Amino acid sequence: MATSAQSIGAGVSETWLSFRFELLKHLKRRRLFIVAGLAIVLPLLFYIYYYKQHPAAANDFANTSLTLMNVLILISAAMFAGDAVCGEFEKKTSLLLFPTPQKRSSIFAGKYIGALAATFLVVSLYYLVLTLQTGQLFGWGNIPAELGKSFAAALIYSTAAVSIVFFVSSVLKRSMSATIVGLLVLLMVLPIIAMILTQLNHEPWYIVTYSANLITSVLGGSGGLGGGRHEDVVRQFTPTFAKGMAVMVGYAIVALAAGMRIAVRKED
Amino acid sequence: MEYAIRTENLAKTYGKTFKALDGVSLQIKKGEVVGYVGPNGAGKTTTIKILTGLIRPTAGHAYVNGIDVAASPRDALRTIGALIEVPGVYDYLTPHEMLTYFGRVYGMRRDLVDRRIKETLELVRLPDWEDKKAGAFSTGMLRRLAIAKAILHKPDILILDEPVLGLDPKGIMEVRELLRQFRSEGMTVFLSSHLLSEVAEICDSVIFLDKGKVVSSDSIEGIGQRMDHGVVAVRFLRPLSPQDTERLRSIDLIKSVDVKNSTARLHYDGKPESSVQILKSLVSLNLDVVSFAGEGVGLEDYYVSVMSDEKGVN
Repeated sequence: MATSAQSIGAGVSETWLSFRFELLKHLKRRRLFIVAGLAIVLPLLFYIYYYKQHPAAANDFANTSLTLMNVLILISAAMFAGDAVCGEFEKKTSLLLFPTPQKRSSIFAGKYIGALAATFLVVSLYYLVLTLQTGQLFGWGNIPAELGKSFAAALIYSTAAVSIVFFVSSVLKRSMSATIVGLLVLLMVLPIIAMILTQLNHEPWYIVTYSANLITSVLGGSGGLGGGRHEDVVRQFTPTFAKGMAVMVGYAIVALAAGMRIAVRKED
Repeated sequence: MEYAIRTENLAKTYGKTFKALDGVSLQIKKGEVVGYVGPNGAGKTTTIKILTGLIRPTAGHAYVNGIDVAASPRDALRTIGALIEVPGVYDYLTPHEMLTYFGRVYGMRRDLVDRRIKETLELVRLPDWEDKKAGAFSTGMLRRLAIAKAILHKPDILILDEPVLGLDPKGIMEVRELLRQFRSEGMTVFLSSHLLSEVAEICDSVIFLDKGKVVSSDSIEGIGQRMDHGVVAVRFLRPLSPQDTERLRSIDLIKSVDVKNSTARLHYDGKPESSVQILKSLVSLNLDVVSFAGEGVGLEDYYVSVMSDEKGVN
C-alpha cells in the first residue's frame, strides 16, 4: 500500500515538473505571448471595427464578440498540443527526455496539462477583456449572467479540443502534420459533418463542434457576423447546455485516454 | 556477483520476422569500460534503447544494477546517464534551463542542481554558455551539452551510443578526453561505437555484435595476444648490410627475415619468451636497435575476422 502511495506521489511530482517545463517551453517559444496577444486584441477589434458601426444590446455584443472564440480555441490547442507527443520524437528530444527516472505517462500528463493551462489562460484573457468591454459599454450591472455559462462551455470545449489535438499528435509523426490535421478536423471536417446532418434534419448532438456552439448560443440574441451556414445550423438546432457539455467532456476523456495510451507505447 | 549491466537472451523483433536482436546476453562488471562494436545495423542502438527504457524487448531481460529495466524503469534509470545517437535539444532553452529540469527529474535539490550545472558545464567546457540559447551551439557543443545532461546526476553507469558521431577531429578529441576522465573516476562505461581506434584507446574489453548476435567478446589485451601472429618489427640505427642480414638469420629462434633499409621484420614462433630472447640476441650482436615492437594484428583486423559480410538492422 505504501509502495502504491509512493508511486502515486512520485507520479504527481513528475507530472508537476513536466507541466512546469512545458509552460517554460511555451513561454520561451513565445507562442503563449502570441496567442495571449490575440486573445486581448481580438475583442478590441470587434469593438472598434464592428460594434461602433452596429450598436447592439449587451447579449448581442457578447455573442458577436465570441464568434471567433472557437477559432481561437483551436489555434491555441493546435499551437500548444500539436507537437506535445510527436514533436519529441521528430526532434529527437525524446532521446534526452525518456531515459530518465520518470514514467512516460507522467511526462505526457504534464505536457497535456501544460497545453490545457495555456489554452485556459488564452480563453480566460479573452473573456476578461470582453467582460470589461461589456461593462464599460453597457454598465457593470448589465453584464449578461450567461457569460459565465459561455465561459464554462469555452473551457470545456478547450479541454476537448486540446485532447483531440493531443490524440492526433500521438498518432502522427510530424508536428506540422499533427497541427494541420488537428485544425482541419475541428475547423472543417466535424463542422461539415454537422452541417450535412443538419441539412438532413438530424440534430448532430454527438458532434463536438456542434456542442461548441453553446459558447455563443447560451447568450441568446441574434449573434454572429451575419449570414452563412454556421448560422443556419445554430438556428435549426441548438445544443442543450447539459447535453452539449456532456458531449464535450466525453470527447475530452476519450481522446485523452486514447492519446495517452498511444503516446506511452510509442517507439522510435 | 551483481553486474552493472546484464542482459539475458535479449531479443527484439520488428514485424513478424525481422530480428534486430537475437538472444543477446551481456555481463558488464562495475567499473568496467566496455566497447560495443559492430557494423551499422548490427543491433547496437537497439540494445542501448532497451537498456535505457526507450523500447521494450520482444523477449529476454535487461538489468541495470540488478534492476529489470522493463519492469522498474524509474528505479533502473536513476543510476544511468545516457547519450543515445544524436539527441535533439530544445534550442530555444539555455543549458541552465534544460539542465535544471533534468536535475529536478533526478530528485536533486535546487541548490545542488545549480552547483552541478556549473560543475558539469565546466567539465564539458561550456561554462560561458550556461545562459545562452542552445540554438546557437555548434554540433560539438551540443554533444558536450548532451554529455553534461548525462552526467549531471553523477550516474554510476554511463551508456554512450556513438558519442563522437558527426564531430570534427577537435570535437572527437574533446569527447575522448572526457571519456578518459570518466574512466579514471571509476565509472562503468558502456560505449557503442564503430570507431575501433576509439574503443581500443578507451575500453578494457570489447563485445562484437553482428546481425543481432554477440559474435565475440574479449579484453583488449586478450585480443592483442590472440591476434599476435609471430612477427616483430625492428628498426636499426643504420640500413642493414647483407652481412647484418645474415647475422640476423643466424639467430636460432628466427624463422625468416624481411629487410627494407634500416627496418627488418623478423618471423618467429610468436611466444613472448622467444621475443625476449631475440631482443637479447640482437643486442649481443651490437646491431644498434632503435625500436623493437611486436607486430600484432590491430582491432580492425580482428573485427574483420569475426564479422560476416551480411548486414542487419540498427
